[in-house]
Amino acid sequence: MTRRDFMFLAGACSLRAQAPEVSEPRNLSFPLQSIEGLLTPPDLFFVRDHFHEPDVSLRTWRLRIEGRVARPVELSFADLVESPTRKLEAVLECAGNAAGGSAVSNAMWEGVPLANLLRDAGLAQDAETVVLEGADSGRLMDNSPVLPYCQVVPVAKCMREESMVAFKLNDRFLPRKNGFPARALFPGWYAMDSVKWLRRIIVLGANERAADFEASGMNKVYNRVVAAAGGERKVTRLSEIAVKSTIAWPADKAKLPAARHLLRGFAWAGGRRIRTIEVSQDGGRAWSPASLEGPSKPFTWVRWRYLWDAKPGEHVLLSRATDESGRQQPLARDPARKDGYELNFCAAVRCWVA
Amino acid sequence: MRTGIIFLLLCCSLNATDCEPSQLTEKERLAKFQELDRQAQSAFEQNQYSAAAKYYREAACVAPKSARAFYGLGTAEAAAGNFSAARQAFETADALLPDNMLPLTMLVRVNVAMKDIERTKEVLRAAAKRFPNSPDLHAGLAWFLAESQLLDLALAESLRAGDSGATGAESLVALAALENTVGAFHDAIQTARAVENDPHAPEAIKASASGVAGLSYESIGQRQEAIEHLKLAIERAPAQENSYLALAFIYEKAHEFGEAVEILERARARMAGSGALLLALGNNLVWAGEYQRGEQVLNEFLQKNPGAAEAYVRLAEAYRNTNRTALEIDALQKLARVKPDYPMVHVLTAEAMLRVDPVDYNAVLQELAKAEKVAPNDADIFYLRGKVYLATNRLSEAVTALKRSIDLRPTEVRPYYQLGLTYRKLGKADLAKEILQRVEFLKQQPGER
Repeated sequence: MTRRDFMFLAGACSLRAQAPEVSEPRNLSFPLQSIEGLLTPPDLFFVRDHFHEPDVSLRTWRLRIEGRVARPVELSFADLVESPTRKLEAVLECAGNAAGGSAVSNAMWEGVPLANLLRDAGLAQDAETVVLEGADSGRLMDNSPVLPYCQVVPVAKCMREESMVAFKLNDRFLPRKNGFPARALFPGWYAMDSVKWLRRIIVLGANERAADFEASGMNKVYNRVVAAAGGERKVTRLSEIAVKSTIAWPADKAKLPAARHLLRGFAWAGGRRIRTIEVSQDGGRAWSPASLEGPSKPFTWVRWRYLWDAKPGEHVLLSRATDESGRQQPLARDPARKDGYELNFCAAVRCWVA
Repeated sequence: MRTGIIFLLLCCSLNATDCEPSQLTEKERLAKFQELDRQAQSAFEQNQYSAAAKYYREAACVAPKSARAFYGLGTAEAAAGNFSAARQAFETADALLPDNMLPLTMLVRVNVAMKDIERTKEVLRAAAKRFPNSPDLHAGLAWFLAESQLLDLALAESLRAGDSGATGAESLVALAALENTVGAFHDAIQTARAVENDPHAPEAIKASASGVAGLSYESIGQRQEAIEHLKLAIERAPAQENSYLALAFIYEKAHEFGEAVEILERARARMAGSGALLLALGNNLVWAGEYQRGEQVLNEFLQKNPGAAEAYVRLAEAYRNTNRTALEIDALQKLARVKPDYPMVHVLTAEAMLRVDPVDYNAVLQELAKAEKVAPNDADIFYLRGKVYLATNRLSEAVTALKRSIDLRPTEVRPYYQLGLTYRKLGKADLAKEILQRVEFLKQQPGER
């Protein structure tokens, strides 16, 4: 397998684990069954770092906005806190989160709308993309230089009302591991764009290139790679979170007494609402509707439950979500996909009932 | 001042729509303004705020470009509780005297009183822009905002005070305390340690810094550093109960109850009247297994704080651990009286009642009925009810109750066991065998999933 193939196959989340020489970035996730209610407590919030957590101080932290703006600005933390803010409940999911995986969390975020910051800086008419740079840096690939973590996001997404520079998670300032003192937040999109420890925003015009983004090799990861006819590969940048659900209880390989059990889980669909959840007890042959525990809202997840009359024997449980646009979780991974992202197919939970 | 007033009067023009047209000469207007100003001050001093506001309004009509009149009007309206009018007056005063920070300071206070956070932020941003090099202004705002429990904004102003040159140990320790409170623990440690190492900082300020550093170290899991700093805080200010409580809490979390007791006993020797210390000491004595002393301390605490639920919970625990069930029930019943919504209090009482010999089954059922009213889907209620029915030979009711308990919590082993026993008693040997096999199966599984 060539390095290039490896890049395509692996989610960047697991990629870092293969390259310990870069640093020992944090990689934490916790079983979703520990979550009560809708919000993930900060200590159970998943973490996928590419580089070492930077040492950032409130007193010295600054956020610079530059590039194609009329008035480049440098904001202090006090400037952010004293700006008009908005609150939004939103899921963050790692683009490489496994089917049934727990690299996904949901929080009530608070921050300054990115659109306000860009407008105040005098966003140029011809601005097209925005580079978001974190305070963490390192070598993304074996042969790439040491550069800050950065991502490129279209201006159109930055100007949407849900996009923000967030500094609070569940009504507390961000924990260090989640991007203290401030991070980008793009609700509805995979988490890699929600750059942590945000320190610089560079606005680019149509013909401008994001030099560090390319030099670091970041442009080669977080791409959707689909095999096309004639051996071609169609590569597109990941953005919106795909519809997905997961079974939080019981855990895979659980042994349960024959009784009526309440299956529980979560479902989310980026900026869209969840319309239905179904549960299968037989590996996907027959499906029954599950109940949503509350109304589904864009950007956040919804809890679901299903009362399962478990009979003795082995069972393969699956959950399947359908969103308001009719998009449904697939039963299996599309064989044409050659990357390791958007793993939203139904994950099997095997249970033995006695 | 006189020159200032004359200047204001000379350049004034009447704009206010609620002012009567005036034909006064400049000299007469000055005299009138001074008279109104004097009357307003006098009314204010006599706490006649509405009257003061009336005089200031008239003064503002006489001299509509007098910041003094509008500032006074804002102060009087605020004192009278008319915050909206006060805000308007301070905004005018601020527009008239943009180089003076007093109207902005008052605008912050009025907006906070009106719970208008967005306007408060707006004023703070204006203050930052217009007075970037005024550490005293930002430090003062930080204190006020902290007192008003607006800790985020207090932190922001404290940071601004630092940015604009505040270097005093007192400002820094306030910043550290805010950083710790809002969860910026690494920053708090850095700031607090700078104060600790400042040779000119007073000992009391250094003690506070050590306390903040200790709390922040504890929050990031650096226990040893936390203990060292809190011990230092105690050494530097032995009459500060918070340092003792924080240090005891660190020991308590590690189940080192003996150490917690030692610290709290030391604190009690200095501050005998502190309720917080007594409660913490009573709790830790019970957890350390020193039940008799624990009970004494908790009862002493309850004499002054009869509504403190936590003390009854701990007393019940002490009595339970020493098999004094009647006293345990009494403590739980007192708990139910002072805090009727305490989770599971009736279930705990029913459990205790089942340990009395002979059991008063009717009383247990009554207690469980109370529990069901509070939490109708609590599996423990049905489990205990099933146990009572089994013991009193109401076997079909026992089956129903225990099945309900299993329905509510199918992985809990105890109701299966009771159900198996009930089937056995009913002569349903096959069902009993099947259920008791499930008990064995469940015992092999990890705990509640």
